[in-house]
Amino acid sequence: MGIVIAVISGKGGVGKTTATANLGLGIALNGKKCVVVDFDIGQRNLDMILGLENRVVYDMVQVMDGDANIKQALIKSKVSPNLYFLAASQTKDKSVLSSNKVEKLITDLKEKFDFVILDSPAGIESGFEHTIEFADAAIIVVNPEVSSIRDADRAIGILDSKSAKVKNGEEVLKWLIINRIVADMVESGEMLKSEDILDILDIKLIGKIPEDKGVIDASNQGKPVVLDKKSIAGQAYTRISGRLCGQKIDMQNVEISDSGLFKRIAGIFR
Amino acid sequence: MFSFFNFGKKKSASVAKDRLTIAIMSDRDRTNGYPFMDEMKAEIMDVVQKYVGVRGVEIRKEIDGEIEALAIDVELDKNA
Ligand SMILES: Nc1ncnc2c1ncn2[C@@H]1O[C@H](COP(=O)(O)OP(=O)(O)O)[C@@H](O)[C@H]1O
Ligand SMILES: [Mg+2]
Repeated sequence: MGIVIAVISGKGGVGKTTATANLGLGIALNGKKCVVVDFDIGQRNLDMILGLENRVVYDMVQVMDGDANIKQALIKSKVSPNLYFLAASQTKDKSVLSSNKVEKLITDLKEKFDFVILDSPAGIESGFEHTIEFADAAIIVVNPEVSSIRDADRAIGILDSKSAKVKNGEEVLKWLIINRIVADMVESGEMLKSEDILDILDIKLIGKIPEDKGVIDASNQGKPVVLDKKSIAGQAYTRISGRLCGQKIDMQNVEISDSGLFKRIAGIFR
Repeated sequence: MFSFFNFGKKKSASVAKDRLTIAIMSDRDRTNGYPFMDEMKAEIMDVVQKYVGVRGVEIRKEIDGEIEALAIDVELDKNA
């Protein structure tokens, strides 16, 4: 039985879809069977980031409604035989999801895969609630910026009250990703540091990802940045994927810029 | 490094932390109310149930400046 992880944020545009694609592939490259599901109904995006937009025939709503079976709808990644993808439907009607249907889909996927990763829509409305309802864990993505952190706290509040696990008296696991860190700005006191964000949100940190132009280059090509060994964001995703697979990987301090690091090293020899 | 103009002026990240701490505290107050909210709901439901059928109870904590209030909505069950 696999683990179901919802990738959430509250605020839009902070990096959920990018995280879903890269963690899914990172986990698959670790040898685990993984499926990533786009729950952002009406705004299908994950297919582009994975470079699979031309392969979509059936979407997850068609599977839930019994118009397609799951085998037909699952799309295999070009890069790893362990990664599969299920597309969001492009309908404008967001009320197509219902708890019963979502639960059945997720139960099916859990039987087939080690990891089931759900890319949530922005906001805290019904689409979001359906994404978290049957999740065992949530990855909360924030940017080091006030509105993202505040919205994340509200999303966490809903997770803690609406998740089926919590309603059963169990705990839903919560892991924080701080995305788009600019080391220079943290050093000069112009950007919140990770300790401050952790003080405020009070959840467990699973990784810090630097701002990296490579992310856009990767999505232009439909090749997740985790494949780019030189990219600092790609390396960060590799580390987080390893942690999710149970490896012990030390947290790397991406909040020190190269010049800051140089100053520190120079300091040692003084 | 030690700029004369920055002296005494708070760095914006620490301003952000202070503002966020306060905003989030008040958000949490508003949405979560009290930890005993569910029990209170159940008890209110029991009391009203003695007299008329009840479908559900909704309680919200409302804050308006200095005034704090509990808004309690009891939805009746017409068929009961
Ligand atoms: N670490 C990063 N560095 C630079 N750009 C990033 C990073 N993470 C995400 N982005 C960019 O931010 C934008 C929003 O990301 P996306 O994953 O679509 O967010 P969401 O799914 O939360 O709306 C995209 O253009 C993406 O390329
Ligand atoms: Mg998205």
